[in-house]
Amino acid sequence: MAERGKSVPAQGMDKTLSRVDDVPEEKLIRALLDNFPNTVTDFKKLGKGVVRASIERRDIHKACLFLKDSLGFEHLSMISAVEYDNRFEIVYHVASWGHNLLLELITTTPKDDPSVDSVSSVWGGADWQERESYDLMGIKFNNHPKLERILLPQDYLYHPLRKDFKGGD
Amino acid sequence: MAEMWINMGPQHPMTHGLWNLRVKVDGETIVDAQPEVGYLHRGIEKLVEGRTYTQVIPITDRLCYGSSLTWSHLYCLTAENLMGVEVPPRAEYIRVAAIEMQRIASHLMWLAAYSTDLGLMLGFLYTMRDREVFIDILQALSGSRLTYNYPRIGGVAHDVPPNFERDTLRACNYMEKKLKEYEDLFEGSKVFMMRNVDVGLLKKEDAMNLGVTGPPLRASGVKYDLRKDMPYSVYPELDFEPVTHPDGDCYARYRVRMDEMYESCKIIRQAVQKMPKGKWRVVAPRNGPVGTGLGRVEDPRGEGVMYIVGDGTDRPYRLKIRSPIFVTVSAAPKMLIGYKMADVVAIMGGLDMCIGETDR
Amino acid sequence: MAFSSKDFLKWCDNALEGVLRRSAVGSGLDWLLKDFFNWATRNSIYPLHFGIMCCALEMAVASAPRFDAQRMGVIYRSTPRQCDVLLVNGPVSKKLKPGLRRIYDQMPEPKWVIAMGECAISGGPFWQSYSIVPGVDQFIPVDIYIPGCPARPEALIDGFIKLQNLIKENKKGLLTGK
Repeated sequence: MAERGKSVPAQGMDKTLSRVDDVPEEKLIRALLDNFPNTVTDFKKLGKGVVRASIERRDIHKACLFLKDSLGFEHLSMISAVEYDNRFEIVYHVASWGHNLLLELITTTPKDDPSVDSVSSVWGGADWQERESYDLMGIKFNNHPKLERILLPQDYLYHPLRKDFKGGD
Repeated sequence: MAEMWINMGPQHPMTHGLWNLRVKVDGETIVDAQPEVGYLHRGIEKLVEGRTYTQVIPITDRLCYGSSLTWSHLYCLTAENLMGVEVPPRAEYIRVAAIEMQRIASHLMWLAAYSTDLGLMLGFLYTMRDREVFIDILQALSGSRLTYNYPRIGGVAHDVPPNFERDTLRACNYMEKKLKEYEDLFEGSKVFMMRNVDVGLLKKEDAMNLGVTGPPLRASGVKYDLRKDMPYSVYPELDFEPVTHPDGDCYARYRVRMDEMYESCKIIRQAVQKMPKGKWRVVAPRNGPVGTGLGRVEDPRGEGVMYIVGDGTDRPYRLKIRSPIFVTVSAAPKMLIGYKMADVVAIMGGLDMCIGETDR
Repeated sequence: MAFSSKDFLKWCDNALEGVLRRSAVGSGLDWLLKDFFNWATRNSIYPLHFGIMCCALEMAVASAPRFDAQRMGVIYRSTPRQCDVLLVNGPVSKKLKPGLRRIYDQMPEPKWVIAMGECAISGGPFWQSYSIVPGVDQFIPVDIYIPGCPARPEALIDGFIKLQNLIKENKKGLLTGK
């Protein structure tokens, strides 16, 4: 990745990570580890301003609330669902505009129970993205206001992005 | 007064692309709105799993056909992040010049459709004529008018044609003169201003919470542009400013896009004049490694993200695409409630919807 | 005699049927005016404002100043009730299929269908997808096929001219249908 040029930070953001002498990625990792000591693991710095972490699925709603309210991560970029042989992974890409950081937060669910808490009460932009993951991959989001199919017809029977989907009708 | 649900679409002259907007009206005022998408779902994320890494590029072109170079460039950035390929500098400059020309062509297409919807048919005729200038340059560069299939993993498909620099500089000079003409045409029209000013207000906090990105976000006063804040490719070496507007109504969104066209002309001039000599493509490995890759770009419509998972073979295991319009359309009810039925056209048109990327 | 409106329409239809369609008056009128009505039909083809995917942009560009389809008499109308031609310009998904069939049924006779672009002809690059109907001629009868991905605006104008020749060859009287 090329070097960062001059950039003016987004206006109106309050800088809650206030110590300016530390690297922002390290501060983020330390803040997450302090608040969720048992459930957040597996940190990796993927590039300039991009950090990956794993979290257990029972704490995802609390962690997202903490990210938005205390650390200033205002923007939920993408919610993806990936199916592996023995698990489902749900990947949240969350961005902080004020600090130019992107956090890739990975949650794992077992194969026979793909459900996780919905974060649509934290970020309104998660609403349709969770519906799409439900529609195409079959992940159930608890406490979602309206978990229905969005891209396929309402009476469609399958979840096409699963690896055992054989073309449907 | 009785309230009723009205279906606008999928066949409706206002809906550019196939989507349905169900509005609940009380007389003439809108009380609730529910957009419905999915009429153009082609299952691209599943199709990609059966093709090799290079065969996916024409498919990603057809994601958003209004600005197709941005999406194939985003896919190439993501695959290069996965495979760890370094792109030579000449290819980066060619890519940036082509993408900014595509941005101008996309905004001109938006302006053509927007002004037709608002009744100003002359806007359609002028902007389509000027869009042909950029389409001709892109056709000489890549061979096709609309879905270019030009970027490759590791560079671009072939070098620029002769006289590329001369033609591009001429096109930028022509465009800047024409943009002043458009401003006179649109802002001198009293009906256009009445239908746009103070219509479709989107407040800053709502825009940030609902995941809106791109010109609608910058028109609500948030200065965030991925080309400046988390830059990719050679944008750090180019000098331009992201455009914002404090109001948050339809006029602000129109103004942001017009000013973005001026900034794009500046970027194209710098990119074409700074282009170094050298190779334009590096051969990428056939098999992708086991791992993940991420790419983020500033599409003319917002923030586009792709997440790719490789499993060691020559085909991707999973490709996930984030479309900016998919999230912006879910914020539409906030902008529509309280306005009249006739304002729907201006508000939804101002979002510049391209349903190809929404439905994938 | 008192009629309700439905009975009145049926009575008119029966009267016209006898006088115009089956008698010599009808065939005579047709012989006089058949060429004129055919000339008017083929020089004023009204397609429907219906854009699906990339070929829709090329359809829009075909009405732009550079390629100008209006010289052929082509004006786009917004409602199917006023159109002659249904221009299908993109892949048809299974969610759209009943809607498209309904639009086709709403168009009055005589009507034609043009399949523009590879996606409408056979599914295009998405023919293996689970949610695309591979070709619009599986549920709608198609008259003209325009290949290309996307089809160039010149190809669309050539398609309109071929449709005009097709209409000229199949002259049918409006009253008797022969």
